[in-house]
Amino acid sequence: MTTRETVGRGDQRADAHVKTTGRSQYTADVVLPGMLHAKVLRSPHAHARLVSVDASRAARLDGVHAVVTRDDLEGLDPVYGFFVKDQPVVATDRVRYVGDVVAAVAAEDEATALRALELVDVEYEPLPAVTGVEEAEADGAPELFEEAPRGVLPPYGTGASVQLRPRKNVSFEFSYETGDPAVWDRCDHVFEDTFVFSRMNHFHLEPFVTVARADEFGIELWTSTQNPFPLRKELARVFGRPENRIRVHVPLVGGGFGSKHNCKTEPIAVLLAQLSGRPVRYCLTTEEGFLTLTQHAALLKVRTGVMADGRFVARESEVLLDAGAYTDGSPLVAEKAGYRMPGPYRWEHISSRCGCVMTNTTPAGPYRGFGATQATWASESQVDMIAERLGIDPYDLRVMNFKGLGEPFVPGESGIDSDLRLGLEKVAAEIGYHGRERVPGRGVGLAVGLKDGGGVNKPAQARVKLSTDGTVYLHCGSIEVGQGISTSLAAVVAEVLKVPLDHVVYTPVNTDTTPFDQGTNASSGIAVTGKAVERAALDARRRVLEFASERLGHPVEELDLDHWNLVHKGETVPLVPLILGHYGGTGYEFTGEGFAKAANSEFAPLDAPCVFWEIGWVAAEVEVDPETGVVSLDKLVVSGDAGHAINLANCRGQDEGAAVMGMAQALFEEMRYDGAELLNGEALDYRVPMAEDLPESFVSITQEQGHGPGPFGAKGMGEGGMLPVASAIANAVADATGGARVTALPLSPERVLRAIDELRA
Amino acid sequence: MSDKTTVTYRLNGTERSETVPANTVLADLLRERHGMTGVKLSCERGVCGSCTGLVDDRPVATCSMMAFQVEGANVEVVDGESADTHLGAAQQAFRERGGFQCGYCTSGMLMLTAALLRRDPDPDPATVRAWISSNVCRCTGYEMILESVLRAGEIVREGEGE
Repeated sequence: MTTRETVGRGDQRADAHVKTTGRSQYTADVVLPGMLHAKVLRSPHAHARLVSVDASRAARLDGVHAVVTRDDLEGLDPVYGFFVKDQPVVATDRVRYVGDVVAAVAAEDEATALRALELVDVEYEPLPAVTGVEEAEADGAPELFEEAPRGVLPPYGTGASVQLRPRKNVSFEFSYETGDPAVWDRCDHVFEDTFVFSRMNHFHLEPFVTVARADEFGIELWTSTQNPFPLRKELARVFGRPENRIRVHVPLVGGGFGSKHNCKTEPIAVLLAQLSGRPVRYCLTTEEGFLTLTQHAALLKVRTGVMADGRFVARESEVLLDAGAYTDGSPLVAEKAGYRMPGPYRWEHISSRCGCVMTNTTPAGPYRGFGATQATWASESQVDMIAERLGIDPYDLRVMNFKGLGEPFVPGESGIDSDLRLGLEKVAAEIGYHGRERVPGRGVGLAVGLKDGGGVNKPAQARVKLSTDGTVYLHCGSIEVGQGISTSLAAVVAEVLKVPLDHVVYTPVNTDTTPFDQGTNASSGIAVTGKAVERAALDARRRVLEFASERLGHPVEELDLDHWNLVHKGETVPLVPLILGHYGGTGYEFTGEGFAKAANSEFAPLDAPCVFWEIGWVAAEVEVDPETGVVSLDKLVVSGDAGHAINLANCRGQDEGAAVMGMAQALFEEMRYDGAELLNGEALDYRVPMAEDLPESFVSITQEQGHGPGPFGAKGMGEGGMLPVASAIANAVADATGGARVTALPLSPERVLRAIDELRA
Repeated sequence: MSDKTTVTYRLNGTERSETVPANTVLADLLRERHGMTGVKLSCERGVCGSCTGLVDDRPVATCSMMAFQVEGANVEVVDGESADTHLGAAQQAFRERGGFQCGYCTSGMLMLTAALLRRDPDPDPATVRAWISSNVCRCTGYEMILESVLRAGEIVREGEGE
């Protein structure tokens, strides 16, 4: 295709109209006739044995239609989780964190449900709680699970291995090793540093919410989820139903950032619907969201061996993720936090370990960046620390050690598909890094984040249906969570079929009719699902051309399709009369199918080479007040590589949104705990970034380096912009203060001041 | 059950009179009685601003106001394509400049913009930033929202020049 009509522009989004008129429908807006409302009773204890639970008084309250306690789970397989099945639908033997679900009620309205919960009698026998990963691993620490929960291990290839429950309070551990450890002996210097990563709430504005109905024929639910197909599979197992008797509808999703995976509100809503015989809506409050899922806090120990001239030789790391009380998606996050520790650099030897440590706090799971945010915080902070120790400019140290374009990340992996140096130079130039004037109290920092994008072993299917009048239906399972995927994928179809963007309808996702998709995660929408969509559009186009070839007697190769006309040697033939003339009646629909998945390889550490590398480059300029430790972020430059952008506005939106999340984590946003007690688990106390928190100058640069594997050369953009922000800011603080290094997030005035004091001492 | 009360007010230019339980929250009245689901509920603490509507031109968190408090007032929320100069300009600008992603904060941001432009059709960037800082957007990083608000001002001013 020579000139492109739709792809590569910043066209208005397909959902612009509904979202600016209040007409967009989210799960929170779904109302069914006779719908009941659910509320749950949550544990006030961080860790306790459940001595007794009696909901009989609640069940007798007027307006209550169903109650669920541990006595109502007969016939279910009532635990869930990604690989380790350890989270119960309602608590059975113990509660393991403040907020653990003990009982649920469906009533005429939420107020009645809440009144009923006051009538549930629970006797707890408190147990000692563990908070923090080191405490959980200490001798004599109480165990969250006395017996190993059920679990399965995903397959791995060369160099990678995993273990379920390798030791007490660790549910899963990932290890990776490559190269000869003997190279440690050759290193001129070995630096060992420890970093602490904080924990954020996703704070998606649409709460976790499900509307469900269930009867003997099947289960139907509308839910705010990012992965309806794995959810369907999990619900099929929990409720003992065949998959085709569970229909999952996904309306628009009001933000997810990774949180809306696997079971959240779904099992309780379905169970109450089953017991009451009525549709049930179960919508969490923001406060309950804080008690449902969080990002992983982490402790990261990194040992790096280098030559005197700055060449990197070996790196060994041990990461402990605070997984909270249930395993959820932690194994996958651990895999990534461990695997991504090398960063974008060349090494002769790598050895990484990452464990999921269970503590009596809110379960942790997928969060934008997915382990790479933790790994990048440690890795990119340490690169600057090493640069300072060796007296080398951090820019030069990075460039000297960067992998080249096309060089495999590790043996068996795919090659790096961005020019790392080119990207770094973009942000360095924008912030005026080279030859800058040194002013005391002001500093500039750089950092580069990298993650394997596209989701390990993610299969995606797509279907493109052409109506008789030449308008198009796109069926695929990428969830519109705000990233603009419905627009970008429609643009791919419009480009292939040469129709205007507004002729393509992105059909609502419903697991009965939508082609299978692993999920909307790992920035996989454009590179994996998008590839399936492109193939489906090409397949549909081929079918039309074959039909036309038969009718017109011209070879397929001589025909082109343009705005639902056939073009043959410059002559245009309208398609509609041709279709009606042949099929009669009211017409015919052509359907194309597409599939995409990275091929498996025994040499690839994670079982399949990664689809694309998502890179974020960041430069930050700060001012640090040496008396108060207050950091002012004056300028933030973020850049990602879209390969070839499908929709430039969407790419920009992803980089900027991700960067601001990273900025907040760097400077102030965190869930604060006092022991097992969450201190700021509500909107009033939990500070998310507002417009006024933006730096005076905030620049995003969408690079189009042209090496993407997706349709029209596209790469995913959802997470890269978040990864290096915190380390770039910490590096800028060190630069501004002559070396005051903060190794824990956020970079609060107290921590910065302490680092300045330590430097002076 | 709580006592009922009748509240008479204007909603998007139409006179309304509704009898509701006295403890009815304004957002629930708008969503459940009038079907105005453009009013989004999120934190329900008056912090995030997703439920923002205008009461007599003033942006309010409709989750944190009782229905009876709008007696005699003029209430405006996003509900379809607006014929109002300021809200219509905001809608057009947010589309043009991509001032939304998931869309959950968008209705509130649009009402906030309309209220600002009625006070000042030519706000400087610092004013826009301060004004928009009353509402949370978790997706965009705000920059494209700020550009949308400035663009909405342009649209209003272009209209006035005609």
